Amino acid sequence: MAKEEEDGGTSGSGDEIIGYRQQPGKIPFSRPGSGGKNRFSETTDPEMIPSSQGGSLEQPWGPHKHDELVSGQIIGKPTALVDSSWKVTGRAHYGDDVRLPGELIGRIVRSPHHYARILSIDCSKALELPGVISIATGQDAKNRFGVLPVTKDEHAMAVEKVRHAGDLVACVAAIDEATAREAERLIEVEYEILEPIHDMRKGLEDSEEPIHDRGNYHIGESNIQKRVFQEFGDISGMSQKSVASHKKSWLFAGVNHGFTEPHAVVADWDPSGRLTLYTPQQVPHYLHRALADVLEIPMHQINVHRTFVGGGFGGKSDPFPHEMCAAILARKSGRPVRITFDREEVYWVNRGRHPSRIEMNLHADKEGRICGIETDALIDGGAFASFGHVTTYYNGVLHTAPYEIGAFHYTGARVWTNKPASGAMRGHGAVNSRCAVEVGLDDLAEDLGVDPITLRLANLLPPHSSTITGFRVTSIGMRECLERVKKESGWDKKFRKLPLGKGIGIGCGFFISGSGLPIHWDPNKFPHATVHLKVDMDGGVTVHTGAADIGQGSDTVVAQSVAEVLGLPLDMIRVKSRDSDTSPVDLGSYSSRVTFMNANAAISAAMQIRDELLDATVEITGAERRGLVIGDRRIFLKGDPAVGVSYLEALHKAQEDRGALVSSGAYRTPPMGRTHKGAAAGLAPAYSFSAYVAEVTVDVETGQTKVDKVWAAHDCGKALNPLAVKGQIIGSCHMGMGQVLSEEMRYSRNGNLLNPDLLDYKIPSVHEMPEVVPIIVESNDPEGPFGAKEAGEGPLLPILPAVCNAVYDAVGVRTSELPMTPEKVFKMIEKRCRSEGVADPTDLECPSLEHSDLQTILKKRSDEHKSRDRERRLDEERGDYYNGALFGLDPSTPPDEVDPRWEVRVTPDEEYLVSPRLAGSAWKHTERRHLEDVK
Amino acid sequence: MKMPPFKVLLPKSLDEALLMSQELSDSEEDFDWIAGGTDLLPNYKWHINVKSHVISLSSIPELRELSESHIGAMVSISELAEGASTHPVLAKAANSVASVLIRKSGTVGGNICLDTRCYWINQSETWRESIDWCHKCDCGTDADCRVIPNQNTLCVATYQADLAPVLMCLGAKIHLASPKGVRSLPLCEFFELDGMKRNILEKGELVTHLTIPEDSAEWHGDYQKLRQRDSWDFPEAGVAVLWRGGPSGGPESLRVATTGLESIPSLHSEEAKEALSRWRGAETVEDLAESIRKAVKPVQNTWFSPAYRRKMVKVLTKRACRGLLVI
Repeated sequence: MAKEEEDGGTSGSGDEIIGYRQQPGKIPFSRPGSGGKNRFSETTDPEMIPSSQGGSLEQPWGPHKHDELVSGQIIGKPTALVDSSWKVTGRAHYGDDVRLPGELIGRIVRSPHHYARILSIDCSKALELPGVISIATGQDAKNRFGVLPVTKDEHAMAVEKVRHAGDLVACVAAIDEATAREAERLIEVEYEILEPIHDMRKGLEDSEEPIHDRGNYHIGESNIQKRVFQEFGDISGMSQKSVASHKKSWLFAGVNHGFTEPHAVVADWDPSGRLTLYTPQQVPHYLHRALADVLEIPMHQINVHRTFVGGGFGGKSDPFPHEMCAAILARKSGRPVRITFDREEVYWVNRGRHPSRIEMNLHADKEGRICGIETDALIDGGAFASFGHVTTYYNGVLHTAPYEIGAFHYTGARVWTNKPASGAMRGHGAVNSRCAVEVGLDDLAEDLGVDPITLRLANLLPPHSSTITGFRVTSIGMRECLERVKKESGWDKKFRKLPLGKGIGIGCGFFISGSGLPIHWDPNKFPHATVHLKVDMDGGVTVHTGAADIGQGSDTVVAQSVAEVLGLPLDMIRVKSRDSDTSPVDLGSYSSRVTFMNANAAISAAMQIRDELLDATVEITGAERRGLVIGDRRIFLKGDPAVGVSYLEALHKAQEDRGALVSSGAYRTPPMGRTHKGAAAGLAPAYSFSAYVAEVTVDVETGQTKVDKVWAAHDCGKALNPLAVKGQIIGSCHMGMGQVLSEEMRYSRNGNLLNPDLLDYKIPSVHEMPEVVPIIVESNDPEGPFGAKEAGEGPLLPILPAVCNAVYDAVGVRTSELPMTPEKVFKMIEKRCRSEGVADPTDLECPSLEHSDLQTILKKRSDEHKSRDRERRLDEERGDYYNGALFGLDPSTPPDEVDPRWEVRVTPDEEYLVSPRLAGSAWKHTERRHLEDVK
Repeated sequence: MKMPPFKVLLPKSLDEALLMSQELSDSEEDFDWIAGGTDLLPNYKWHINVKSHVISLSSIPELRELSESHIGAMVSISELAEGASTHPVLAKAANSVASVLIRKSGTVGGNICLDTRCYWINQSETWRESIDWCHKCDCGTDADCRVIPNQNTLCVATYQADLAPVLMCLGAKIHLASPKGVRSLPLCEFFELDGMKRNILEKGELVTHLTIPEDSAEWHGDYQKLRQRDSWDFPEAGVAVLWRGGPSGGPESLRVATTGLESIPSLHSEEAKEALSRWRGAETVEDLAESIRKAVKPVQNTWFSPAYRRKMVKVLTKRACRGLLVI
């Protein structure tokens, strides 16, 4: 026995400890230790402690405000997600796994028409069917809802009109699925069919029967839901200075998230009149609000229970009509109601990426600077607004970095059409236009006779700068991302040097790390994220958070943050994040906000407990507080580790006379951004950056494209959990590859969605998946938790353009349509053959590159900027840097304040309206409320 | 998604199966044969042509026999693909069917009798209601064809199975049994150009096995398949080319068959004969490929467009002929 104790004392926690093994899971526990003679406490690994705190963890990007909170536990270690064992053993309960006694099965009656007025609904036959308990229609819940308060345009079920094939008309609850399906058939609906709109371009025109009516705020009689006009920088000088231009009109097909778990919901009204809604949701709080609106009951009567989520990617981030239906049916029936979607219903509720028509013009001046970006984006919103208001802005503003630009002109419009609604999907609003920009840069580089990576390196914004639209950018690891992928892919030996059919391409990305403005309230009054901690006698820490773990690992990251600050192993942290009854409000898992905001809130809550533990230690030991540090379950003097107490001793001291320690931490974004209309869209407390190189093989006779290998560098500030970051990078590659090569929601000539199933909606299989080399760049964000930024969405952006550019390198054709199926690539190859008079595509020549003099100039500039950036990131006293300095303006003042040519404009003038671009033509209409002024 | 209820019958021998079919016919009950179920059950889930009974062939040992010359209808596609005596081109085609899981369940007989597919039929009931139903679906709706409207006579759903073209080129015979007796015929006479009827099987008749001629080892060739993904996807076009005789001096005999392009697979005897009659190596292969392209008439009801599929038939034919040009 004595020997065993000795062994236990000297070896690591991975060793088995007799009597402390969980059966039957066999997961070793870590027992809270008992001070200096504690065999469970591990010596702190100096590699885990930042050099600013005397450890040996190098900090090339300087120290961080959270350095002193590092106890060397878990931050930066590859860590299995805390709920992974639940998932792999099948113990995780998803939406459809919830079984309540007496449950009924709900089914939804859906519209077979694209657009129609409901004349009557006759439920009498269905109600007579034995086993049918209740039926509801739009008349049962007439209040509108929607994820954004400014565009609430959804109902639980159609009240007056159905707006797309698959729109909800009625719902029925019955004793089993077969009965519910039979009842579905017996519900008779009489429709008056209206003329549908399928082509997004038609949405810009006046219509006799607009899909929605926004009253005074309606834009003409059109189907335009949102329009944006923005001009920044020297627009008038743009074309004059330009020596190379790129122009391309893109057509992006709509894509769906393709998550594994179809939507499922269970609603249960308990005897005290409270509703519990079990649902796999990314935004339980917004659902909570919408339920209260629709059901007309106070929020405190509702408990939203987030089940395990089988993938979200933005597809579970709206309050959904079927969630309302379940609640309404359960209320009517007096029994729990479960609704589970078929896959095709998932496509009908959609909220996937918008089908888009994007016209992208780029201009470069003689010094190889990007003197102008002109973007026009028309996006197809489908039948409802969803997140579309924001998407319309994101299609423009999210490509104003990482490059310093001379002018930015953006016109965007989102229209309603009679299709399933588009919404937010991983990389929200940024993906398509980013692809267009990065392909454009490749084309510009070719025109200028320079290497596309060098062109990018010579035009980057420095760290701690302001973009042309006024976004405050803090840490930037863009340069390092580019340098790493260039080196590791062997770029210089391959680019424009591979044989026909083999190609290599580059693409970059930039994304928000948490939307700066909460959707629902004044950011100056309420926090974005709140975390509560409770620590009782046992020493385990209970974390209450509303952050929705959708598989991305938000429970893990909050547990890691608390464990790190308190010096505890991960298994002493238990996260309670499911019920709105017990969780403090969190806005949800969207806009890549959770790690940044929720971990910051968790750190702040943990710091309060830490303070109390340190105070207690001072009381016990009499040591000076300043010298105390926390290690693994032990608090001790840094200078003399023998002086200290165990975590439990300190905890119990702190608990004297008051019991469990509790704390609450919150996070709120700092004030930032400018004041023009739309200035808030795209604001974030930090931004992520990424650069990918893709290598492809194109079969020139069939157009089939195979991605062979991807080198994927992503700047996530600090990888709190490198394993999860790598997973996100690889997963993003897969998802983006689907959009670039094969995925699309395909509509027939009559507007029917042809492929609402996973056989015909072509998600790449394991055969299509290339080897991905994830490269993590850590730029140490000053405000991020331990320096971290997002890694969930940004990594998707670069793969699309990288593949497009690689295909060009391989066969010399540039697509303007995604997905570039073999068919489309083959068409382009045929076209090229015809124009060059080549009979056999295997005789085509590859694109080649001869460097012009500009290459040397750009190389020199990029070297200078490299040292500029290095100085800026380490210099605490650095001055301001506003976009425009590269063009000779004073970096310390916003250019529009000193140069009239850089004036910011957010509405078009009459001159523009003479011949507007496609989405820009949305501005030809007058809002109804201004019609009088016009007359 | 729930299947409508049906009764499963589980005969232990072929005779018992035929007896059951006879009994069902006598009592005017409709039924389907079910082999691996990988084609039938998804259609049932979509409520497509659902029957009140299915007779499962899974417990009939005599349908599982596999040898060089005999392939039982209930031999699984993966057994065929891995079979030691399977012709290499047939094995290649078998290995390209769907995915590993489906190959484990799916059978040779099921693959031969695969139902035709179309964007407008392989959808749920609610979906089909939204197009006012489809011609192929037995909904009693008298609906028009949605692919080629206003013709309302012929279903143009596409036959998308991989094994048939290779078996046709090998000269396989198909053997059928029904309560009335047995019959055999060349596989290429088995199919009927109608996406609904599909083949000559009578009510109550089933495929028992295929036989491969003894000279199959003398035949060489290739099977080429067009699809978006290297797994799961049905062939958007498939070309089998088999020949006898060495590359130098050209082939003695040549057979070409295609799948995934029309409502039935086709053996292109005329085109092959023409090519043989004046063999000039690569040039003839080019002409042959062009003639096959012209011979097929796909319609717009699968993932790739008809124009692309036809162009690719030419490329696939040329690729399948590569072995003919190696000296």
